[in-house]
Amino acid sequence: MPVVKLYKDRLVKLVGGEKRDVLQRLPYIGLDIEGEESDSIRVEYSPNRPDFSTDYGIARALKGILEVEVGLPRYEASSSGIAVLVDRRLANVRPFIACAVAKGLRLDDETVRQLISMQEDLHNGLGRRRRVAAIGLHDLDAVVPPVHYEGVPPSFSFAPLGDQNPMTIAEILERTETGRRYSSILPDSRLYPILRDSKNTVLSFPPIINGNETKVSTSTKNLFIDVTSTDKRVGSDVLAIIATTLADAGASLQTVEIKYFSSSEATPDLSPLSMPLDLPLIRSVTGLDLTESEINSCLRRSRLEPSGTTVAFPRYRIDLLHPVDLAEETALGYGIDKIKPVYPASDRPGEFSRQGKRLEKIADLMASSGMVEVMSYELVDESSFYKKFERSAEEKVEVSDPRSIDHSILRDSLLPSLLSILSRNIKEEYPQRIFEVGRVYHRVGKKVEERWSLAAMIAHSQASFSEAKMYMESFLKTLANLEVVTSPSIHWSFSDGRCASVEASGRGVGHIGEVKPSVIVAFGLGVPLAGFELDLSNLLRESS
Amino acid sequence: MATGALHPIEVRVLGALKDAGWVDFDSLLSGGLLPDQVRRSIEWLSSKGFIEVEQNTLAKLVLLLPTAPELLLLRRLKEAGRPVPLSDLKKDFKSQDEFSAALGRARESSWIKVESSAVGSFVSILDADGAAKLERLLAHLARGAEEDALPEELRPLLPDLIKRGIVQKTEEKSTRVRITRDGLAALDAAEGGRVERLTPDLLATGRWRGKELRPIDVRAPAPRFYPGRRHPVNEFIEEVKEAYISMGFTEIEGAAIQPALWNFDALFTPQDHPGRELQDTFYLMSMEDDSIKREGVVDRIASTHEDGWRTGSRGWQYRWNTEEARRLVLRTHNTVLTVRALESAKEDLRVFALGKVYRNENLDYKHLAEFHQMDGVIMGDGLNTRHLMGFLTGFYRKLGMSEVKLWPSYFPYTEPSLQVVGYSDLANDWIELGGSGVFRPEVTWPLGVKKPVLAWGLGIERLILLRLGLDDLRVLYDNDLGWLRRRATTSIAGSQTLQG
Repeated sequence: MPVVKLYKDRLVKLVGGEKRDVLQRLPYIGLDIEGEESDSIRVEYSPNRPDFSTDYGIARALKGILEVEVGLPRYEASSSGIAVLVDRRLANVRPFIACAVAKGLRLDDETVRQLISMQEDLHNGLGRRRRVAAIGLHDLDAVVPPVHYEGVPPSFSFAPLGDQNPMTIAEILERTETGRRYSSILPDSRLYPILRDSKNTVLSFPPIINGNETKVSTSTKNLFIDVTSTDKRVGSDVLAIIATTLADAGASLQTVEIKYFSSSEATPDLSPLSMPLDLPLIRSVTGLDLTESEINSCLRRSRLEPSGTTVAFPRYRIDLLHPVDLAEETALGYGIDKIKPVYPASDRPGEFSRQGKRLEKIADLMASSGMVEVMSYELVDESSFYKKFERSAEEKVEVSDPRSIDHSILRDSLLPSLLSILSRNIKEEYPQRIFEVGRVYHRVGKKVEERWSLAAMIAHSQASFSEAKMYMESFLKTLANLEVVTSPSIHWSFSDGRCASVEASGRGVGHIGEVKPSVIVAFGLGVPLAGFELDLSNLLRESS
Repeated sequence: MATGALHPIEVRVLGALKDAGWVDFDSLLSGGLLPDQVRRSIEWLSSKGFIEVEQNTLAKLVLLLPTAPELLLLRRLKEAGRPVPLSDLKKDFKSQDEFSAALGRARESSWIKVESSAVGSFVSILDADGAAKLERLLAHLARGAEEDALPEELRPLLPDLIKRGIVQKTEEKSTRVRITRDGLAALDAAEGGRVERLTPDLLATGRWRGKELRPIDVRAPAPRFYPGRRHPVNEFIEEVKEAYISMGFTEIEGAAIQPALWNFDALFTPQDHPGRELQDTFYLMSMEDDSIKREGVVDRIASTHEDGWRTGSRGWQYRWNTEEARRLVLRTHNTVLTVRALESAKEDLRVFALGKVYRNENLDYKHLAEFHQMDGVIMGDGLNTRHLMGFLTGFYRKLGMSEVKLWPSYFPYTEPSLQVVGYSDLANDWIELGGSGVFRPEVTWPLGVKKPVLAWGLGIERLILLRLGLDDLRVLYDNDLGWLRRRATTSIAGSQTLQG
C-alpha cells in the first residue's frame, strides 16, 4: 500500500491546528503510521483514498476532524480559454482526455516532491499502472494553445523528457525503460497518441513519457495538467484529485474545453456529488444513538455537507458508493476512539467442527506415542518431491508465476516433507521419530482433490518395517478400533520387498515401508528410515 | 583376626570364592580384574588369614604320539587274526629302526613270537593281553592326567615312555586359593548383606530380607529423554480455537483451493483490483471451476459489481467477466469460508474458520507464503460497529493482550472497517493483529442476507512469535528438531514460561 512522507511542521502549518492534536489524530482518519523521525512521519494510506497521496489531502481531512474547517471544501474554476482538440481516430487507441490549468503556484522542492509522489501513486493505484489512466504535468508557459490530442505514426519523433535528441515513437517504445515497461498498454496499431500544442511542441506521449520542452521545475508558476484514460470516469476522478490538491497548494484553477468529434465538455468538473442520507441506517450500523443534528456535525467533520435528505461530497471522494459509506464517515467524524464497545453475548455454546476434533485427536495420539509433530509447507519444489524419488512429475499441481521455485507446486504426499526435515536435522540425537498431519493435493481428471493425510517417519540405526508397523497398528487400533491388512506392494518411497499397502475394511488407506537407500542418500541421510502415510479421508468421515 | 576394612577388590575376590572351593588363579581374572590386582589381593587376604593359598607344582604329562609303536604292532596282528609275514608288518612303520624297536620290545615282553620258515619269517601273538597295562596307561594319558592321579600299577611304565619320547612330563607351577572360615566371616561383615539391585529371584525366595541395596550416586545424570510433542503452532491454534468456542462460536472449515468468485468477487473486490494479480495471489496453473455460470447468485454478484444491482450502491462501474471468476486460487484469506457460510446460512450465524491462507510473497523474516488466519462472522439482528469492537476487545484480552486499539481502515467488503492493534506486554509494543468491519450490503444482499454481519480476519503467526520469544516467522516452520524437542512449554497468558 502506498506511503506518504509528511514533514511535521509543514503539515501542522497546512492544518492550522495544534501539533500534538494533528499528529495524534493521524490514525483516526485511517492512516497507518509506518515510521517516525524527529521532523517527519511516514504514513500508509488505503487505496480507496487517493486524495491522501499528498499532505494537502491529509491536511484537508485533518482540518475537518479538528474542526478548523468543516463541511464541503469549495473549489472554483474559471475558464482558461484553452481548448484540446481530440483526434477521433484515437477512439480505439486511448479515447479519453481531461485537462486542467493551475495558475499562480509557488513550487518549492517539497511540494514538487509531493506532486511527483502523488502522480506515481495515482498511476499505480487508480490508473492501474497507467493502463487505465496516465497523468502529464506541463509548464503552461511553454504551451501555445490550442492543444491537439492526436494520433501519429510510429515514425513520428520528438525529444522525450531527459533527452535533448529527438527519438521516434518506435524507438522510445523499444529503447527506453518506460517505453518497454508500458508499451503493452497501447494497442498494436499504426497510430499512437501524442499531445502537442499549436507550434508542434510535444507535451507528451501518453502514457509513456512527457516531452522535454514542457517539463516542470521549481520555477514553474502555471501548470497544464492532462489525464488520458481508457475509462472516462476514472480519468476525471484522477484529474479531480490532482486539481483539488493544486488548489489546496494555493493555485487558482481553470477549466479546459475538451472537444471530441461529436461532443465537448469543460474539465475538470469539480462540482460536488451527492447521495441519500439514511439516518436509521447510520444509527443501526454505527450503534450510535445520535440525533440528526449530531450526525450532521459528524458528517461535516468528515468534509461532507448534509442538506435535508441528501449529503453532498467532494469530487475527490471516489470511495463513496453506497449510503452505508456515510455511516463510516459519521463514525470517523464522531471519533472512532470515542465509541464505546459492547460485548455481543452468545445465547448458545460453541463447538469444534467434527473434522477439527478428529484431526486434533489424531495428532494428540501420535504425540502420545512418543513422536514429535512437525508442520511443513504445502507449496514445495519439484526436486524434493519427484526428482529425488526418480518418479515422473507429470501429475504435479502447479501454481502460476511463483516467486520462488521452492514453493511452486502443491505436494501430493507428506513423506518427502518429512524426509526434508530429517535431512536438516542430522546433527540431532537419534532415534528421531516425527509425524505430520496435513493437506495433500492430487489431480483427479481436470480437478484437484484436497485430502488430509497422516505420515510418520522413524530414523535410527535399527529402524525397521516392524517398528513402523507397530506404531501404525497401535495408532489405528486406539483411535478407531481399526484392524488393518498389510499386503506386499510397491511404492516410490519404499524398498521392494519391504513395502506394503495398508487396507482397512477392504479399502486402501495408505502405504508403509522401509525407505529406499537411494532415497535416503538423495536426502543426505545416513541412517535407515521406516515410515508410513495414511489417507485420513475415511477416518475423518466416520462418526466418532 | 586381622583388622581394618576390606578393599573393594578384596571383597570381590572373596565373593568369588564363597561356596566355590578351590579356585585357580585364572578363574579369578574372569571377573574383569587384572592379574596384578588379583595377585595383590591374594597376598593381602592370605596375610590376614582369610584365604588359603596353595602353590602347586603340577607334573603334567602330555602324550606326544598317538600310541606306542609296539602296541601298533600288536593291534595289526590282532586284526589279522593269524601269523603275518614280517615283511608285511614292516609296511606300517615309518622306519626300519622304529619297526625293529617295536618288534624287539614285543618279543622281550613275550607278547609275540617270530618263526622262520621256508617262505620267510612270520610273526604271531603269544600273549594278547600282555599289553593291556600299557594300553590303559596310554588311555589315561590321552584323557590328560597328572602323575599323581595315575593308578599305582601303571606308574612304573612311565619312565620308559618318557625316555622314548612318547610322553612328555612338564612341571607347572599353579596357584589356587580357597576361602577360610575367617574369610567368610569377613566377607559377610564387609558386604553387610548388600546387593546391587533387587531381582525377581530375591523377591520370590525372600532372600531380599536382611539385604541392603548398595547406595548409588543419585546426583549422577540420567539419560536424556524427549517425549512426543505437538508442534507449538498447533498448540497455539488449539488454544485460540478454545477461546472462540468459549465465546459461543462454531468452527467451520473448507477447501484451500477456491474459485476467484468466492475469494474475491463475492467480497465485492473488483476484478482489476491489484490484490488479484499474479504477483500477490497463487493461481492454479491452467485450472478453473467451469461449473460457474452467470446465473443465480453469480449473476447477482456480477450485477452488483457492474452497477450496484438492487443494493443501492453505485457499484464498480465496469464489465464483469465470468472467466475471471472461474479461475482457481489458493485462498488468500479465510473470509472466503465465512462468506460461503453466509450463503448457506439458514439462521443467525456465529462461526469462525482457522486455517492456512496463501500469498504469493517472497519469504523473509516478516513474510511467509503460507500462514494461518482466523476469520469469523456474527450475523444477527441489531448487530453494529460497537458489538464488533466489543468482540475484538474481549477476544484479545482472552489471548493475553492488555490493551486493544481500533483504528479506521479499509477493505473492499466492509464499511466501516477497523484495524485491530494490541499492546503486548511480551513485546512491550503495539502490534498489528488484523482487520475487521461490517460487511457491506454489496456483499450480503446478493447472498440473500439482510441482517447485519460483523466480520474479521486476524493473523496468528505474529502472536505465536511473541509467545515463543522469536522474531523470524520462518523459524516456525523450519522444524528444527532440537527446538521442537527442547522448547519450553508456554501458557495462554503468554508471560509465564517453564524453562525446558
